[in-house]
Amino acid sequence: MDISRLKSEIKALIVDELNLQGRDPTSIDDDAQLFGGGLGLDSLDALQLAIGIEERFGVRIPEGDEARPIFGSVSAIAAHVHASQAALRSSTQA
Amino acid sequence: MTSAERGQPALWITGAGLVTAVGASRDATFRALVRGDRAIRKVSLFDTTGQRSTLAAEVRDVELPKGSAREAAAWSRTSAMALAAAREAIAEARLDVRGRRVGLVVGATTGGMFETEALLAELYSNPDARDALLAMLSHPLTSTGDRLSETLGPFARVRTLCSACSSGANALVVAATWLLAGDVDAVVAGGADGLCRLTFTGFNALGAIDVEPCRPFDRRRRGLSLGEGAGFVVMERASAARARSVRPIAELAGWALGAEAHHITNPEPNGDVVTNLITRAIARSGVERIDYVNAHGTATPLNDPLEAKALRRALGDALDAIPVSSSKAQIGHTLGAAGAIEAVITAMAIERGIVPPTAGLEDPDPECRLDHVPGIGRETRVRAAVSSSFGFGGMDTVLVLAEPARSEIVAERAASTRRAVVVTGAAAFVPAGLFASREAAALLGAPVAPVASIETAAIDAKLDLSRARRLDRAARMATVAVEHATRDAGISAEASRATGVVLGSAFGSVDASAGFMHRYLEKGARFASPAEFPNLVPSSPVGHVSIYLELRGPVFATADLATSGESAFAQAVELVASGEAPRVVAGAFEERSRIVERILATLFARTPEPDETRRAEGAAALVVESSESASSRGARALARVMRVVEWREAEAGALRDLAAPRDAERACVVLVRENGGVDALLDGSPWSACARHMCEAGEHEALGAIALAAAVGRVARGDADEALVVGLARGRGYAILLAAT
Repeated sequence: MDISRLKSEIKALIVDELNLQGRDPTSIDDDAQLFGGGLGLDSLDALQLAIGIEERFGVRIPEGDEARPIFGSVSAIAAHVHASQAALRSSTQA
Repeated sequence: MTSAERGQPALWITGAGLVTAVGASRDATFRALVRGDRAIRKVSLFDTTGQRSTLAAEVRDVELPKGSAREAAAWSRTSAMALAAAREAIAEARLDVRGRRVGLVVGATTGGMFETEALLAELYSNPDARDALLAMLSHPLTSTGDRLSETLGPFARVRTLCSACSSGANALVVAATWLLAGDVDAVVAGGADGLCRLTFTGFNALGAIDVEPCRPFDRRRRGLSLGEGAGFVVMERASAARARSVRPIAELAGWALGAEAHHITNPEPNGDVVTNLITRAIARSGVERIDYVNAHGTATPLNDPLEAKALRRALGDALDAIPVSSSKAQIGHTLGAAGAIEAVITAMAIERGIVPPTAGLEDPDPECRLDHVPGIGRETRVRAAVSSSFGFGGMDTVLVLAEPARSEIVAERAASTRRAVVVTGAAAFVPAGLFASREAAALLGAPVAPVASIETAAIDAKLDLSRARRLDRAARMATVAVEHATRDAGISAEASRATGVVLGSAFGSVDASAGFMHRYLEKGARFASPAEFPNLVPSSPVGHVSIYLELRGPVFATADLATSGESAFAQAVELVASGEAPRVVAGAFEERSRIVERILATLFARTPEPDETRRAEGAAALVVESSESASSRGARALARVMRVVEWREAEAGALRDLAAPRDAERACVVLVRENGGVDALLDGSPWSACARHMCEAGEHEALGAIALAAAVGRVARGDADEALVVGLARGRGYAILLAAT
């Protein structure tokens, strides 16, 4: 999946999974701070989003401090998902 | 002036019982705690595959009372543990439950969820499994109180409440208000909660459980350990205990309860509310010094430093010399039972002059600078002690226990005068619309609209969705009703802070709990939803209401089957009349449930009673306020609350003491629903000849609150001078007398 489609899917997932009713997914900025920023998201949302991402993309989000940079923005999540999926593909091909 | 007006009657704990993972009695538990025993081990009750942590403190060998298969199926592990603890307390206090006016208060969060989960698993593979469907109704939150009533009672009155992890502590507070009001001679009060897959999976999904046995106040703590158990006390006025020559263990000297209105799972970071409650509870108790603190001490990264900071702010330098410990490292976090179990442990520290330890504490966190008691107990005289309990949704309660006062009346404590109570606002949210008090009167006797459900869009339209996103549909309905009632009452933002809220619901989120379990069965524990779990706690909707509307007074949920609305109203009146809060919003909500409707369809296919299946949904709320508070803020009273009568078992004679209406022509009886017991109740009472009106809003368990809102409207409009609202359900009933101002 190309990275821009991945970003759109992640935004839709955020709106859906975190119940941001009435929020247009395309209005979420790729690089805006996700947690503690304008969306009003907190640690409970981070837990929920990690489950949603794993379910949707088959990519596990590490716990604790390691998750912090990954959850920095939509772009950062997309990069992590992309890289993890690529690693998964190469390991299954090998 | 009589002595009773100068001070407050001392409230003695004359019996106590415990069932915990370290002991099957209070003596066994306390001795094990002092020795430093820990019972946090691999869970054996259910499969823990895929769970982050697999540990909990289980009570082994819980014996379910014997009887026919049908009787046995009515018992949950929770109820069985409650029975053992309550029996121990009653035996020690030598209390004759049937011979005196004795009340029962039960705090709980899961009821028979462990047993219900097995039924849900069966229904997951076979949605039409008839026996499983019928058994689903065996274990609502009220089931523990009902089993105790059948086995030990009848009790004069029974209350089931939930404020998550402070439920057990709040049960003791309710007992105290009943005793100070003189409504009962003694109260059996406590909490019980059994382990279940739902809470275990939910707390794991929140990442809140340590993979090792929990370590409160330790630098390496990574979360809590769950536990299970029951704790009950017998509480009575010192004068009554002396008359029976019963010795006290300790006394309940002070208490304070309030809500953080901050977040559904996270504590308020400054700990302002907790600090304030500790200060208020100690001030109220009149004790000069605190010698021990039994902390909430969950061992979550956020709780422990916050609690240490709040203790420091409340107690100052004196804290350096006060031992503080958490029993949760030994018996786990017993949720709805914790507040009661830990109150008994605290009372025993006073009784025996030994404070129990924080087992497993090796490397104290510098953020938790306290006089810790690591390893084993410490001998020291404890004259007075604090026990703290903080619940999901920020419902916090602090108790102060003390050596029993020598006098029956404690002069240092303010006299407990009763406040006159009025209703200053009301709202009903039903499929036909959202009505404020005066308009709600139309719900009496009008033909019912053939609509059973409130449109979800109509609920959402009344809310700020950016702030309401965590609220499920039931919590949203409740929030709309409460907000409308507070507007009807003209409550300012300032006044909201001192306002409490008590909401009743019979079945809670049964469909959502089933959905959570289905997902668990289908995808495994890993994919359990952390955001959904907090909404499955029975006190979650009322917690969301408190957060959304910033109501910081006493906050909790009550449950009493089809009279859940009446129980919430009765509870709110008690809190206001006894001065616990200037105003408390009372209400109820019940959402249509696919599961409940399937159960009823299965049930009534056998014995058809069409009215019973005419299911609808709705919510209502009433602002219950002291007359003094209403006039000081210039609010108009819609009705005065003259009497609340509640009873168990048969209706006949329950209204014997009720005064006759002043003018029968201008008085009416409002019936919450058609019920065969109404005639037996009213026959021979001076109210039998009054006009009767039926609440017409379909059938559901929150109907009592809707009928109350409608009755208040009727009185406020001048259509009646007095209205007697009567709500009956199996084995229980309430009559609430409202009068024009």
